[in-house]
Amino acid sequence: MTEDAALPDWLTGHGRKRSRDWTPGDSRRQSAIAGTLLGLSRLVRDSVFSEKIASRPGLLQNLDPRIKLVGMLSLLVTVSLLRNWYLILPLYGFTLVMAAASRISLKLYIRRVWLFVPIFTAIIVFPSLFNVVRPGDPLWVIRDFGHQVTLGPWSLGTSLAITYQGVKGAVLLILRVVTSVSLGVLLALTTRWADLLKSLRVFHIPRVFVLILSMTYRYIFLLLAMAEDIFTARTSRMVGPSSPREDRRFIASSMGTLLGKSHAFSDEVYGAMVSRGYNGEPVISHSFRTRPADWFWLASVTLAIAIIIGGDRLLG
Amino acid sequence: MADTTADTGAGAPVFRVDSVSYRYRETVALAGVSLTIGAGERVALLGANGSGKSTLLKMLDGLIFPDQGHIRALGHELSAEALKDDGFSRMFRQQVGFVFQNSDAQLFSPSVREEIAFGPLHLGLSLEEVGRRVDDTLHIMGLEQLADRPPYNLSGGEKKKVALASVLAISPDVFLFDEPTAGLDPKTVSFLERMVLQLSDAGKTVVTATQDLELARVIAERVLVLGEDHRLAGEGPPDEVLTDRELLLSSNLIHDHSHRHDERGLEHIHPHSHLTDHGHQHG
Amino acid sequence: MHIPDGYLSPQTAGGLWALMVPVWYAAGYKVKKTLSARQAPLVAIAAAFSFVIMMFNLPLPGGTTGHAVGGTIIAIIIGPWAAVIAISVSLTIQALFFGDGGILALGANCFNIGFVLPVTGYYTYRLLSRGAAEDSPRRWFAAGIGAYVGLNLAALITAVEFGLQGDLFKAADGSALYSPYGLSTAIPAMMIPHMAVVGVIEAVMTSLIFVFLLRNNPSLLHSYDGIRAAATGRLQLKPLLIGMALLLVCVPLGLLATGSAWGEWGAEEIQADVGYVPQGMDRYLGRWSGILPDYAFPAAEEADTGEEPAGAVSLEGVKESVPGYMVSGVVGLALVGGLAWFSTRLLTRRSRKKEQLD
Ligand SMILES: Nc1ncnc2c1ncn2[C@@H]1O[C@H](COP(=O)(O)OP(=O)(O)OP(=O)(O)O)[C@@H](O)[C@H]1O
Ligand SMILES: [Mg+2]
Repeated sequence: MTEDAALPDWLTGHGRKRSRDWTPGDSRRQSAIAGTLLGLSRLVRDSVFSEKIASRPGLLQNLDPRIKLVGMLSLLVTVSLLRNWYLILPLYGFTLVMAAASRISLKLYIRRVWLFVPIFTAIIVFPSLFNVVRPGDPLWVIRDFGHQVTLGPWSLGTSLAITYQGVKGAVLLILRVVTSVSLGVLLALTTRWADLLKSLRVFHIPRVFVLILSMTYRYIFLLLAMAEDIFTARTSRMVGPSSPREDRRFIASSMGTLLGKSHAFSDEVYGAMVSRGYNGEPVISHSFRTRPADWFWLASVTLAIAIIIGGDRLLG
Repeated sequence: MADTTADTGAGAPVFRVDSVSYRYRETVALAGVSLTIGAGERVALLGANGSGKSTLLKMLDGLIFPDQGHIRALGHELSAEALKDDGFSRMFRQQVGFVFQNSDAQLFSPSVREEIAFGPLHLGLSLEEVGRRVDDTLHIMGLEQLADRPPYNLSGGEKKKVALASVLAISPDVFLFDEPTAGLDPKTVSFLERMVLQLSDAGKTVVTATQDLELARVIAERVLVLGEDHRLAGEGPPDEVLTDRELLLSSNLIHDHSHRHDERGLEHIHPHSHLTDHGHQHG
Repeated sequence: MHIPDGYLSPQTAGGLWALMVPVWYAAGYKVKKTLSARQAPLVAIAAAFSFVIMMFNLPLPGGTTGHAVGGTIIAIIIGPWAAVIAISVSLTIQALFFGDGGILALGANCFNIGFVLPVTGYYTYRLLSRGAAEDSPRRWFAAGIGAYVGLNLAALITAVEFGLQGDLFKAADGSALYSPYGLSTAIPAMMIPHMAVVGVIEAVMTSLIFVFLLRNNPSLLHSYDGIRAAATGRLQLKPLLIGMALLLVCVPLGLLATGSAWGEWGAEEIQADVGYVPQGMDRYLGRWSGILPDYAFPAAEEADTGEEPAGAVSLEGVKESVPGYMVSGVVGLALVGGLAWFSTRLLTRRSRKKEQLD
């Protein structure tokens, strides 16, 4: 500190041949995990933390968040109660209408809903279409063996077929999943995080939990930035691909560092809270006020639910 | 030791720190520091990295407590015990505001508006009063456009402003600033300097920890220097302390080659001094 | 392991919510006592940490995905109860904002990943590392095993929840209403990848992080010991744990009883359900029928014949069973509610008394 030490040779590059024969995309591949992390953190920031859609005027955005939460949850419960797939369809249509009325680009909305969970569900449910996995009335016989086929201890029956029950169950499950995810996405896209949290108080969730939730949301961002720094620092230092073993050690040590840092950080945050009067009893205020429009929306949702559930029970 | 600290400044002491020591496990952060800060004073706390400035401020804010020694604040003993008393703790938190060195630690709410409301709400103000204070604070700090933004993706300077706003809204009588200008552009720095002077004119006590000698010169009427040995190395009016090359050198606030920075015009960016070099070497 | 909405019947999802509420209360109580006001930032940051870890989703053979949870290491550092809250919070944010895990299924996910995992992981670690020296390899080994056991138990419970859907919730024609696979498919499908891959990842990661912390930041590994030692008096969680055990016994009964009755008012539906529920009950929960004899349903003897459509149950039997069914449902519900109320009540009274003494 007291004297400016001369920079060592290896740093200044004097008297050393430097390798400059590097071509992009050659050996300095980003390790897969670093890539995942960077991608994910970008995704989080772009799609989740941006509250662009939520601050745009629109049907759902203008609703009182408490009313919206109650309504959306009732719809979710309804979706989970229905037994006939064709009754879920109008509910799915309803989410599309609400999305459009909330000025959400349908392309973005549909992509966001369908991209992950429904596709994943389709893969999961696929084997259950076959009579080998789940017995049922054959809808389409793919192969008739003509005799009892056994595989070790399992008996596979006399034919391979897609069953009526399998298809019905699969359609029902996928529709249920898609509509549930749609409702969740609508809620998340059109509600500012701070409002969503405060509206949780409708369900008498203890204030401390609401406070913790709100702080967590904020720290995810911070930790992602920290993790991103650690990873970019490493990628920029690394020459050549790393072995899985190195990768594992590296991830573990970054996680360890991250844990240590964040633990120390929480002390600092605690200090900042106490300094402004926090004593373990959070105060949560909101200025929500319901308007007739909110109740009107809730009433229509309730009516829709009643009709659909009624229909479902009638149809058996 | 306690008597050596001059009772300069106006009014009764806000803080009286008496031979205080503190360590974080093995690391010594403060080793027998004594000082007094009077009501309405503008004090700068200078010291190199790691000299214990932040630790001392946290102690003045009643967030950590001395291993040895005592602190009196606002006429009361400041201890973990004393702060357990709800009445005292509320009074103390209302009167003493602390702007942290690390804005990320200080900003934990989901929106700027809520960040600013946090203090007033937790100190028991009525909702209307909280709302009014938030609006006023947003206005004076010029943060209206950011009100509904989440604080995490603000720029460093904006974060610092929000942090300051969140403390201003409490309307404390004593402000503790920890490196308020680190990493800020010149315009924001001068904004902060003006803010400090305005607060001081309004009769507030302002204690600023910094390594920026220029800032100390502008905003302080008394300067305290924390040495690398975690003790008080010197104190006095800015024109005396900031020209005491010996003292500044020994506390690592400047170094022999600092004149070079002048030639390159690296003024506010660099923590090293340019001011004293003018005075002594070139002046 | 995150269960999306649509896979679980509302009965199962609701039952697991009911189970989780007292767990959260207990955890909140414990954490409040040990960490006091400091809990909020510490738990929040642990939650953010677990969120970041869980973002590493690995696709697994068989269509499922897996990821490390970090539940055990978090529980070692901040204590199992704080970990319950932290992971639950992290799951909540995932559910609300990523659609990763359902909103109705949140109770189930919190139970599996947020409760079973860290608590099992932590106590396994404690058990295996008891008396081990500070730098003994046994300690990090124990952390890894704890993580493995915790994760796999959580996976098993998840698999059982899935499997019950396939076995219990079918339409009259036998098609699946929710997740289509029964226990015999769901358990191997879930457990093979978790035991072979995900659990190993979790264990290796936990051990490596543990070793790293041991070398670089050992105080972190002791922070919970410090907190525990500093906490005044012994924390009496026994009544709550007994309550929980009772709930565990009662909830399956309660949720089956109330669940099938949920929103159903037509005689045909009740007939369908009554014919149907006991089939599954008999198969998997048969031994409970002795406790509440009213639960004996007319279709019980038909259960073994398997795919008999529920409509085949004679109306005669339904008429007899309806009152029994209702009574059992009401009793089950009352038990669950009463226990939840009682445990909450116990907790708040105790903490109030404590405060008065302080
Ligand atoms: N939470 C902590 N745990 C351990 N050591 C700490 C902690 N905080 C500070 N220290 C150590 O205590 C000493 C004083 O730190 P402090 O933060 O008070 O210095 P400072 O003067 O504010 O430095 P800077 O100018 O860098 O902010 C340093 O050696 C530092 O490493
Ligand atoms: Mg500092």
